[in-house]
Amino acid sequence: MSATREHLFTGGGNPAADRHPDAPAEPEPYVASEGLIEAVNLAIYLRRPLLLEGEAGSGKSRLARAIAYELGLPLYSWHVRSTSRAQDGLYSYDAIRRLHDVHLLELTRQRSGDAGAVQGSDPSDPTGYRKLGPLGRAFHVGDRPAVVLIDEIDKADVDFPNDLLAVLDDPWMFEIPETGEEVRASEQKPIVIITSNKEKGNLPAPFLRRCLYYFVEFPDDEERLRLIVEKHYETRDSPPSPGLVSAAGRRFLEVRREGLLHKKPGTSEFLDWVEALRGFGGGGERVPPDKGDIPYPEVLFKLRADWQRYVLGK
Amino acid sequence: MISAEQRELLITLFLNLRRSGFDLGVGELLAAVSALEGGWGAGDTESLGRTARLLWCHSPDELREFETVWDLSAGRTPAAKPPVQSAEPNPDTGEGHQEQLDAPPEEHPDAPKVDAALTPFPVNAPELPAAAGAADLQAYWPVSRRFMLYAWRYLRRPVADGPADVMDIRATVEQAARQGFYLSPVYRRRERNDAHLILLIDQGGSMAPFHHLTRDLTQTALDESSIQRVEVFYFHDVWSSDLYLDLYRTLLVPAEAALRECSNDSSVLVVSDGGAARGRREPERARDTARFLHRLKHHTSLLAWLNPMPVDRWADTSAQTVSHLVPMFQMDPDGFSSAVDVLRGQPFQHYR
Repeated sequence: MSATREHLFTGGGNPAADRHPDAPAEPEPYVASEGLIEAVNLAIYLRRPLLLEGEAGSGKSRLARAIAYELGLPLYSWHVRSTSRAQDGLYSYDAIRRLHDVHLLELTRQRSGDAGAVQGSDPSDPTGYRKLGPLGRAFHVGDRPAVVLIDEIDKADVDFPNDLLAVLDDPWMFEIPETGEEVRASEQKPIVIITSNKEKGNLPAPFLRRCLYYFVEFPDDEERLRLIVEKHYETRDSPPSPGLVSAAGRRFLEVRREGLLHKKPGTSEFLDWVEALRGFGGGGERVPPDKGDIPYPEVLFKLRADWQRYVLGK
Repeated sequence: MISAEQRELLITLFLNLRRSGFDLGVGELLAAVSALEGGWGAGDTESLGRTARLLWCHSPDELREFETVWDLSAGRTPAAKPPVQSAEPNPDTGEGHQEQLDAPPEEHPDAPKVDAALTPFPVNAPELPAAAGAADLQAYWPVSRRFMLYAWRYLRRPVADGPADVMDIRATVEQAARQGFYLSPVYRRRERNDAHLILLIDQGGSMAPFHHLTRDLTQTALDESSIQRVEVFYFHDVWSSDLYLDLYRTLLVPAEAALRECSNDSSVLVVSDGGAARGRREPERARDTARFLHRLKHHTSLLAWLNPMPVDRWADTSAQTVSHLVPMFQMDPDGFSSAVDVLRGQPFQHYR
């Protein structure tokens, strides 16, 4: 049993000594709840993708970096866009450059009669023109699993998750027809973290079935917000004073809990706000009052209706 | 190793979840077993529940649903036990049951005594829509948003009237071969989806429980489909000579004006329960509907009707009458696909 738990995420942030060159070098301050830590470890054990949902700015994407940093594993991030196809994450192939190199080779031969003096890649070898994507690279790591972050999977076309399904399951392989290669995951299958904001409705059922699911809740109490701020400033100089953090946390939660906001600010906005209160303007810390005007509202309110309610007081 | 009890609890839970609509396969059961064997959730019942929750739930809704099924499966709520068990006296608990049965119904000492003469007359419960309880309706999601998106894709009417900037390689090669030399590439006009969809949506009243469905339907058609022109009109129960432009039925537009753009290439989809939700036959309603359908058929024959009530609830209602006049489908993936087939002019096989 201990052999299978070789990679155990504790959320403590103490980095592993044996690090892969692609592992993040910068520490990632992250406060993970116990449930989330268990979910991560179960995903690592079963090697099933972990699907994270939750409010924007609740630290979904950051988790992958925290895992990779703590376990010393390589991290490959794939930021999905509306035009992304499943193949982009596996490999890309530059046929134009190969054609260009063939022409260049012929031209040089005609000019100098010397075939050896060509700069650039060798067009007779197609593998020089394919570039592996995040998943392709993760398959190649070998001695340890890689962490793959598939960020905002819901941005892509509706078929996208289904196309990935064949790669993220047995037999964990894909083909590159251009080079005739067959890329197979090594014995250490990648740890896949997927985030979604549910912008285009639910993901397809077969895909969901394969995933572990965890809903990242907003840390809705002052103590946890304080912990997050503390952790965030662990590696920086001049952390904000405890008085500022508790006043900011109190006011922030009060506004959130009122339930009148159209777009609720998340953890990332809170950290930005604390940073603004701490050091912006040069006049020292600015502790937010419990009542009255909220300082730096532009960090927190992003919709006109919210702005009108809390800033203009309508 | 996992104990026989844990295995049994896991399988009971799995079967119960499947019964309440979770989309789980044997692969997911095996994954849970291997997680338990690896030491996750093997400790106590609660941690087993946590592991199962991680593996088998995929949305906040499912997480909520899971709690109910979990309480039932883990046998924590006494109310969840089947009543048959208590009917048979159990040698261990038989005494307890006897005591409970013998005890007279307890009355709170502070409860005010009600004079029998002053009690009101029994009141008949008002007529409710025939559908099941509110909790059932909230979870009633026969067609997912994703499915709607897929289905709308089939509704297309490609017309090549865009700018001529799409190179036709086959035609270019052919032309070069025929001429013996290459002169210039052959361009085709860009195609676009010229489909015209008119949605007529019954809003309010008996359709209220299905508003989340009609909202998804209009949103996917308007914003996320490739259909060129989508028009949405609302009505309430029966078509009069006017339709509404907005959801809240405040902006009136004469039906003839609304349908002015409707040509024989336009598709019209009606979404209404047609009286099936109330479970009554209203000849007047059916007659009005028939009159309007007749008028609609002057414009186009690409006409379909989606009924959010299941087909077995149409019997003996106005919906049944109307279903003889127009291809009417219940709102499930099959029915929705068939409706889209009718809208794109594919003859519907099973319709009469």
